[in-house]
Amino acid sequence: MDLFLMTLTTGIMVGGIYALVALGWVLIYKCSGVLNLAMGEMTLIGAYVTLSFYAMGVPFLLSLLFSLVIGFILGILTERIFLDRLIGQPVLTVIMVTVGLSFFFKGTLEFIWGTDTRVFAPPVFSIEPFRIGQIVIGQVYLWSFLAAMILLVVFVCFFKYTRWGLAMQATADDEMAALSLGVSARYVYAAAWAIAFMAAGVGGTLLGNINGLNISVGYLGLLVLPVVVLGGLNSVPGAILGGIIIGVLQNFCGAYLDRYFPGGVKEIAPFAFMAVFLLWKPFGIWGWERIERV
Amino acid sequence: MSTTFLPCGEYHQSYNEDHAWWQTKFIKCKMVLMMLVLFIGIPYVSDSYWLSVCNQIGYTVLGALGVQLLIGFCGQVTLGHAAFIAVGAYTSTLLILEFPWPKFLLDLGLAYPISILIAAIVAGIWSVLFGLPSAKVKGFYLILTTMAAQFITVDFVITQYISQIGGRGQAFSLPPGTIKIGPWVINSDLKVYYMMLVLVILLTALVVNLLRSRVGRAWVAIRDNDISAEVMGINVVQYKLMAFFVAGFIGGVAGAFWISNLAAISPEHFPWFWSLWLVGVILIGGVGSIHGTIFGSIFMVVVMELLQMAVIPLASSYPKLLMDFLFIKEAAFGLAICAFMIFEPNGLAYRWWQAKNYFNLWPFSY
Repeated sequence: MDLFLMTLTTGIMVGGIYALVALGWVLIYKCSGVLNLAMGEMTLIGAYVTLSFYAMGVPFLLSLLFSLVIGFILGILTERIFLDRLIGQPVLTVIMVTVGLSFFFKGTLEFIWGTDTRVFAPPVFSIEPFRIGQIVIGQVYLWSFLAAMILLVVFVCFFKYTRWGLAMQATADDEMAALSLGVSARYVYAAAWAIAFMAAGVGGTLLGNINGLNISVGYLGLLVLPVVVLGGLNSVPGAILGGIIIGVLQNFCGAYLDRYFPGGVKEIAPFAFMAVFLLWKPFGIWGWERIERV
Repeated sequence: MSTTFLPCGEYHQSYNEDHAWWQTKFIKCKMVLMMLVLFIGIPYVSDSYWLSVCNQIGYTVLGALGVQLLIGFCGQVTLGHAAFIAVGAYTSTLLILEFPWPKFLLDLGLAYPISILIAAIVAGIWSVLFGLPSAKVKGFYLILTTMAAQFITVDFVITQYISQIGGRGQAFSLPPGTIKIGPWVINSDLKVYYMMLVLVILLTALVVNLLRSRVGRAWVAIRDNDISAEVMGINVVQYKLMAFFVAGFIGGVAGAFWISNLAAISPEHFPWFWSLWLVGVILIGGVGSIHGTIFGSIFMVVVMELLQMAVIPLASSYPKLLMDFLFIKEAAFGLAICAFMIFEPNGLAYRWWQAKNYFNLWPFSY
């Protein structure tokens, strides 16, 4: 029973981070219809930038802030240079450009920071675990979850109450109508990429705090794909729920199935689950079902 | 149908003529010349290094052919083709290492050819298995299931289970002399080159012929609009699965061929990167064109080799550069894909077509 509860809590906590990254993904898809496969590398960029500042002696929160600023700039640049020219192109073209971007980012990252695992030193969060009754949770997980939740709330408020957020929602809903009401779609796309970069950066920093940072953290960024498929490609609540479900599922598979299938069940389970889930409910929990006509 | 320009006053008088591969004497001469260059010219002039580059190109062509078939002709985007290549490679290796071959087959040197065939069929069936979701989903969702195929096959099944067979650890090494076709032991770049050439020509012919048949036309119809294709009476699911089978089959041949060039095979030879690389190759070459597959392969392999050559002189002043070449290669590949997608979405094959048309129509180029 202890194992069950602990796995559940850890899963929910990690799932919160996935939800944060998935939110950025969904945002890009909703606003500009781009299916982004470079999310893993975007998490890595944010994480490495934070780590570099932190290693220079900048306080953690300040370095996170710097990484947000850099993520913002990179997001706008990426949209301006690469994605802006592709509006109206076939899906495969756009997807492959994001794949190209992911290679470009990855190669550059490896070139700059190498492939060794780096850790946040001194540790940002204390190693002393946190106890609630019988459940023991690492502080990293708890704080990461809290940070992810706070950011999720901030993002949701941003969409609901600010002018920019409303403009983005309008563009996502109906681009034509938004354009005719004076919303600049180009600014909205750029803003969507900037926010996605920032969200991914925070997610990557938190993930990097858990197990140390190397290129394979980018693989965790790929987990965003099962998450969004589960929740529905264009649903923000779906991304949050999907993130938590995938986090829990992954940890349960790690805890219970590892005995029967030794090795990487934990890494594979979300993708296997996704492949089966797609057959059953291809539009996710809250995604829009698309009806096709000839 | 026919895209060949004929001299003035010559017309096709039957369907067979219209569908013929080599329609004029000029083209026949050209093809014979090309064969001569491929079979005699290149091995004669190039040293071992360039032969190995050619083998690399051939392997890329074989791998990309299946991807081209799926993406370019059937419209089923796949980002997990390395999985099927891996299945082919591992099936062939395991058959050679573990299967109790009868003595006469070993003496005749048939073990490896038979293992290639079985590997191709196994890879095809494995590919159909992961193509099954295509009955229900398409587009982005299908991309995700093919990605799942990559992770499940290579990172899980092969790494965790297949690699344990025989207790050899992570890498399977083939003892010298086991890879033998008929009387020839495949042990030099030159022999690998000839084998590659035969396989590439055979499989290209297979794909081109399939594409001019009812099957190929059905694939193209599905690519252009699957709903209309279904309305026209094409069994969409059956043809999609057939495309997956053929693509997996070709991938299996590619994998089984490549073990002749590798001293030891391990899961690291078939990473997700390789799947994406193959898709990048056909995008750069041109989607929906067999020429494009070959141009793309040549372009990517040769450009990477040139890049490496450019890096080596620099390495004396920056030793770190040589170690980091892999990363430069990755970044360059990413940028190349982005640039091609943005500036030349039709790929190299389109440029080739333009150049050919220019000369065919000269001096009246309109």
